[in-house]
Amino acid sequence: MSKASPEHGGDRKPGVIGTVWKLVTNNFIFRTVFRTGFPDTMLKRMAVMRSSFLMHILPTKVGVHGLKLYYTWCMGGITFFLFLLLTLTGVLLMFYYIPEEHRAYNDMKDLLYMVPYGRILRNMHRWGAHAMVFTVILHMARVFYTGSYKTPRQFNWVVGVLLLTITLLLSFTGYLLPWDQLGFWAVTVGTNMAGATPFIGFEGPFSELLGAQIDNDIRFAMIGGTRIGANALIRAYVWHCVGLPLIASGLILFHFYRVRKDGFSGPL
Amino acid sequence: MLSNKPDYPRVPSWPYFIWIVFLSIILITIVVWGVSFIVDAPLEEEAAWAVTPNPAKAPWYFIGLQELLVYFDPWIAGVVLPTQILVGLMLIPYVDVSPHAQGRYGWKDRKFAVSFFSFGLFLWFALIAVGQWFRGPSWEFYWPYFDYPLGGNVWTYPGVPLKMTTAMLGNMPNWLGAISIIVFFIGGMTLPLLFMRVSDSFKLAAIFKDYFKKLGIIRYCIIQIHVLLMLGVVGKVLLRLTFGYKYIFTTPWFHI
Ligand code: HEM
Repeated sequence: MSKASPEHGGDRKPGVIGTVWKLVTNNFIFRTVFRTGFPDTMLKRMAVMRSSFLMHILPTKVGVHGLKLYYTWCMGGITFFLFLLLTLTGVLLMFYYIPEEHRAYNDMKDLLYMVPYGRILRNMHRWGAHAMVFTVILHMARVFYTGSYKTPRQFNWVVGVLLLTITLLLSFTGYLLPWDQLGFWAVTVGTNMAGATPFIGFEGPFSELLGAQIDNDIRFAMIGGTRIGANALIRAYVWHCVGLPLIASGLILFHFYRVRKDGFSGPL
Repeated sequence: MLSNKPDYPRVPSWPYFIWIVFLSIILITIVVWGVSFIVDAPLEEEAAWAVTPNPAKAPWYFIGLQELLVYFDPWIAGVVLPTQILVGLMLIPYVDVSPHAQGRYGWKDRKFAVSFFSFGLFLWFALIAVGQWFRGPSWEFYWPYFDYPLGGNVWTYPGVPLKMTTAMLGNMPNWLGAISIIVFFIGGMTLPLLFMRVSDSFKLAAIFKDYFKKLGIIRYCIIQIHVLLMLGVVGKVLLRLTFGYKYIFTTPWFHI
């Protein structure tokens, strides 16, 4: 049994939980991981925030108004957490999914009927994605209504709009991957609009000026063909699983950096 | 700024902030997990070129654009308007430079900004609602509970025409269209400026004059162009729904 006396709580004898807690935390191996110990003094509370890898992105102290639920709605943080959740479930889905025209749909069916927990995995990725689009819109609304985009945060708002765009693109590219009628035709409709871009889309106004045709215009570049097919699928896949998440991560890091550097908004 | 005011009440992040982060994470996990447990994500038949579903709907966040396709050609609804919306959003901090009402809900100090933004959001979700719930085969109006075969390509109600509305569409005469567009934009840009000169005894005019002085001509133009574009979209929608105008201005290259 531990010889250590309780750090706080007076002379009270430690119970079973207290004893085990001491046993686990009061040794040098534990201290190599968690340096500060239980943060029960102001000094330790500062130290724990600064020395933790995961938490040092957060400030050591926060203004009370910023903690209020009615101020942030927690929406930026929730959006970020959904992004992490989607990354996790997305990587797990990648183990079971091959973006090949004749295989993708069967892999979906396998996920639903064969893979243990495959159904809930797919559901979480799908509903999480819808939720993220929604929360990012709510986050934007709260930033607008609290006037938080004003000096000195103008540029972070611009980064935010880019993040909104990337979030929508992520959802859109993911929509094609199940290779079912729903996604297939939604993406067909969506990419057909790109074909109507002025100048660089083959159906757009002034397309003949640059010689845009069905097999060399912007839509062709997006879907790698004249209609949605195997090439469009692999393009959607690479953008969805590699390109866009990388861009999103970079922008999110920058977004957070700016939130910390500019200080959190609040009454002047 | 608040963050460098020493006397502002602040608390250590541990545990007051970490606590909120922790709870949010648990809550969101439970919600997403719970919903996924109960509701299955949709998965339809395997993609097939030969089988065009009617209607083919975009995911909800893009249905607003798809709904606009009824009223505008694809190059406007699918390219120009979304680009303009994103550019307009990015411009917000650079045209709204008044430092007032920062870091709090300030309806009183920014009635115009809040109304404009809210109207945009409202428009966006109204279009989504109409597209999602009130559109059926051939993108005609339907009631949400009307049972039509979404995802199939066979119309299962023999004797009922595929198109419910048989309204004839026509174009506005070009001369009228040109005049309307010019009057709308030139008038829209200048009327507020004229209004400003009316008389200071008119309270609204005085407020606007003050507002304009702070904005300057360039910012005023950027804002007003976006206001007009948004109203223009609403206007075109109404023109089509009431007078059946498909285009208000046609050229050999593009139609508006
Ligand atoms: C993937 C998308 C996004 C993530 C993960 C994200 C995350 C965050 C987080 C965690 C904060 C801290 C405060 C809070 O939670 O409200 C924040 C602040 C902020 N966000 Fe975002 N955000 C995203 C998109 C956006 C968008 C779309 C906009 C605006 C168009 C935006 C503009 C801002 C601004 C201006 C701040 C500073 C707010 C302040 O100091 O009060 N962000 N963001």
